[in-house]
Amino acid sequence: MNAKKQINEAAAYKPYSWQTVLEFRAMWVVLALGIVLPFLVSKPLATEIMIYALFALAFNLLLGHTGMISFGHAGYLGVGSYAGAMVVFYGGVGVWVSLLAAMAGGALVAVIVALLAVKRKGAYFAMISLAIAQMLYFLALSPFKRWTEGEDSLKLPPLSVDFPIHLNLSDQMQLYYFVFVIVALAVLAQWRLLNSPFGHALKGIRENEDRIRACGFNITRIKFLSIIYSGLFSGLAGGLLAIYLGAASVTTLFWMTSGVVVMQTVLGGTHTFMGPFIGTMVFLYLRNNISNYTDRWEMWVGAMFMALILLFPEGLWGTVMQKIGERRRPSAS
Amino acid sequence: MLLQTKGVCKYFGGLKAVDQVDFSIEQGKLKSIIGPNGAGKTTFFNLVSGLYKPTHGQVTFQGKDVSHASMNQRSQLGITKTYQITSIFPRLSVFENVRLSAQSRVSMFNSWRKAYSYSALNNRTMEILEHVGLADQQGRTASELSHGEKRYLEIGIALATEPTILLLDEPTAGMSPAETVEATHLIRKLSNELKLTIILIEHDISVVMGISDEVMVLHEGKKLAEDTPEKISANETVQNVYLGKGAEPCSR
Repeated sequence: MNAKKQINEAAAYKPYSWQTVLEFRAMWVVLALGIVLPFLVSKPLATEIMIYALFALAFNLLLGHTGMISFGHAGYLGVGSYAGAMVVFYGGVGVWVSLLAAMAGGALVAVIVALLAVKRKGAYFAMISLAIAQMLYFLALSPFKRWTEGEDSLKLPPLSVDFPIHLNLSDQMQLYYFVFVIVALAVLAQWRLLNSPFGHALKGIRENEDRIRACGFNITRIKFLSIIYSGLFSGLAGGLLAIYLGAASVTTLFWMTSGVVVMQTVLGGTHTFMGPFIGTMVFLYLRNNISNYTDRWEMWVGAMFMALILLFPEGLWGTVMQKIGERRRPSAS
Repeated sequence: MLLQTKGVCKYFGGLKAVDQVDFSIEQGKLKSIIGPNGAGKTTFFNLVSGLYKPTHGQVTFQGKDVSHASMNQRSQLGITKTYQITSIFPRLSVFENVRLSAQSRVSMFNSWRKAYSYSALNNRTMEILEHVGLADQQGRTASELSHGEKRYLEIGIALATEPTILLLDEPTAGMSPAETVEATHLIRKLSNELKLTIILIEHDISVVMGISDEVMVLHEGKKLAEDTPEKISANETVQNVYLGKGAEPCSR
């Protein structure tokens, strides 16, 4: 007790920057919004937002927090989705085991990508991850058709959860809250991860890879683990997606999935924690509404994306944080 | 001898950037390496730091051959370098710049515990910031610091790895004459107070004379002289390299 007091007195520092404090609050605001989301937008859209937001956060572990750009995140999401669906379809296991399998599937692809590409930087890493994801797409489409059902999708029976409470996942409302709770826990876990010594080392790599190596960090191993974490959370999103769609679909593995997650993340702001989540909300909301009016929704979404990026160069949330920072600076000591 | 090189060479194709250099430094000493631009100082320095591996020859540290150890391995052994061009973590706070570097000795992979909960690390960080005179700047974002402050932060980051031997690559680069004087005093102070062994690289001969225990002069990749500052100043060959050919690199 006494020792603790001494440290507090000696510590004239405030280690948590205002950005961290603000992000922490934003996280709770967004999660609180998640509680009422199915009453604001349709339940399927709300569910989809949660799943893809988790996916975007997982993607941003690499892009925003480690500084590695991946164009192959469909691979993690898709294999997670198939792994989760297959253990249900062929193994007859429950939903929880399915989600574990999905995480394992995502992590497995991550290990393969990491083994092949962890030492590659920038575009090389992006291209290798894209190539692996495309390979997985074509494998699922045809050679493995016997197990994946190819273009027909691997359809799941109606699912329910008995533990800790009974939930009928065919009911849209119950499904939403099931997904929401898991996504919220995953968001909190990622927050914890990014504020751990490992998470700080990731920021160090992003800021100055050469310097962090000179400080004695083994960046190859840190990146390796970062890719695996990203695969793990992406796989979880894939498992949830299979439950939500009631099927594992080969389009999940298609390169467009990898592209859309980049857009969602950039739209929200890559240098922030909650940016990808907010970006996903806005992106899917716009897409959903525009596609009600026109079949050419891609064109309109594309135009809006460009307009938003011009207006918010650091992403929606990133630019807000930047503006707050500028306003703070004159008064900051 | 704490650190020794025997006949180290580094060739880049046909260019002999460093050629047969024998060098040694004792514990607690401050030794400077000087030479005109292009003399091979930085290359030699990077052979010691581990960025380059020698073409020939050997680097030993505390009696162990470390010629082929990588930069992060050497850092973990206690050889830490600073950069000629300021190399910090621009978007992190001053505090976090130093704390993160200190963290390399404690934890790299712990993904659950809070990074700021290691009070020993936090205290050590504040101590280092006191040493380099940045304690009152600790909450600022590193990119907002002035050039001189960034150079001190650079040294702070290096100190945080608890080096046995600190390699400083032109720590006063880009500083004003007044700042340079201040910085050289700081370096001497660190060497005295922390009992640090320091290797200092400079092209400006006047910076090192007052603070070094010994000076080695490199010229065109070869060792030209190695002696106390007084004898180096009096050395004719050195004078020729620096003055005779009108090669005083900075007009100070």
